[in-house]
Amino acid sequence: MKIAFTAVGTTWDSQIDSRFGRTEFIVILNEETQQLEVIDNSAVKNEAHGAGTATAQKMYELKPDVLITGNGPGDTAATALKNLNMKIFVDAHNLTLEQAYNSYKNGSLKQL
Amino acid sequence: MKEVVILSGKGGTGKTSITGAFAVLAGQQAIIADCDVDAANMHLLLAPDFAEKSDFYSGELAVIDSNKCTQCGICAYKCRFGAFSLSNGTYVLDPLSCEGCGYCQITCPEGAISLVPRKAGQVFVSTTKVGSTMVHAKLDIGAENSGKLVAKVKNSAQELAKLKHKELVVVDGSPGIGCPVVSSLAGASYVVLVTEPTVSGLHDLERIAGVIQKFRIPMGCIINKFDINPEMSNQISHFISSNGIDYLASIPFDPSFTKAMAEAKTIVETQSPAKLIIEEVWATLTKKLIN
Repeated sequence: MKIAFTAVGTTWDSQIDSRFGRTEFIVILNEETQQLEVIDNSAVKNEAHGAGTATAQKMYELKPDVLITGNGPGDTAATALKNLNMKIFVDAHNLTLEQAYNSYKNGSLKQL
Repeated sequence: MKEVVILSGKGGTGKTSITGAFAVLAGQQAIIADCDVDAANMHLLLAPDFAEKSDFYSGELAVIDSNKCTQCGICAYKCRFGAFSLSNGTYVLDPLSCEGCGYCQITCPEGAISLVPRKAGQVFVSTTKVGSTMVHAKLDIGAENSGKLVAKVKNSAQELAKLKHKELVVVDGSPGIGCPVVSSLAGASYVVLVTEPTVSGLHDLERIAGVIQKFRIPMGCIINKFDINPEMSNQISHFISSNGIDYLASIPFDPSFTKAMAEAKTIVETQSPAKLIIEEVWATLTKKLIN
């Protein structure tokens, strides 16, 4: 399974970014290899408009099985993500990546 | 740290007057962020000192390299926005007309046109008249607010709150439900909606409440000028109670708001009866947010 996180930093103890579109980084955990892959999202973050759909497009390229984020994608981005076979878990923005992953594993994160 | 965002959907409902009052009541307990950058006006009420300034860039702008330009005029012919014109035998660009699309850069046979980041305004970190820190911005002529600028103002306010160990960030949001509003909601703990008893007041309240519900952020509503249309106020109360929105207060129409504004004061610095209502709402909010 590939798990994507919106994150303000690049490590396992970074906070989850509450933003989807303008997240600082997208961090991907490959559960099989336990490797973290970091995608810098600063180019999208610096777009004046359309950040939600641009990050949604990135999700299509990365194709994670699960996304763990904060407030969750807005309406337009959520519509764009509908055809992607990806589960979205939200309200993790006061947690670190590690805490959010553990919460996801024990089923305490809210799924959209 | 908790963040309360004040929104209205419709413009002109009294959102900034009420946010300004909250900012005065919060004193040095809160960091203030003015994210209504298209019509930034909270500085009129809070007298910030504009102490720290930084330029803000958004989008791009074409520039002509006069050393490479052969005055062929293809840019002026191709530009859909009429941004290029001939002035004393030389092609010049009107920055207000340029949309930064880059078509001129592609079509210029001499490679004389490039795109540079466009300065859109300034972001300020100030100390207000009550001693609190306020992050705000001012747009240049022709520039527009964006989700990017709101994110910058908000992130800066949040960082300052952490640095200065403040428990609260008070955010004045934009009207509408577009990109700047969605951007102002990220990470919010609570949203205060300010509405008025008009058809468009209720219509826009329904739209903004729909957006906030999508992000699962708790919210409450203030009905401002409730007595100008009691029937519509009833409809709004009904909408509030049937959509899980906290009812915060009804404020009567009061010319003291405008009078206070003309004196560069907030309503809580006057003796208006509305003062007591807003103080009560603020007490409820702080209790709700900070245990």
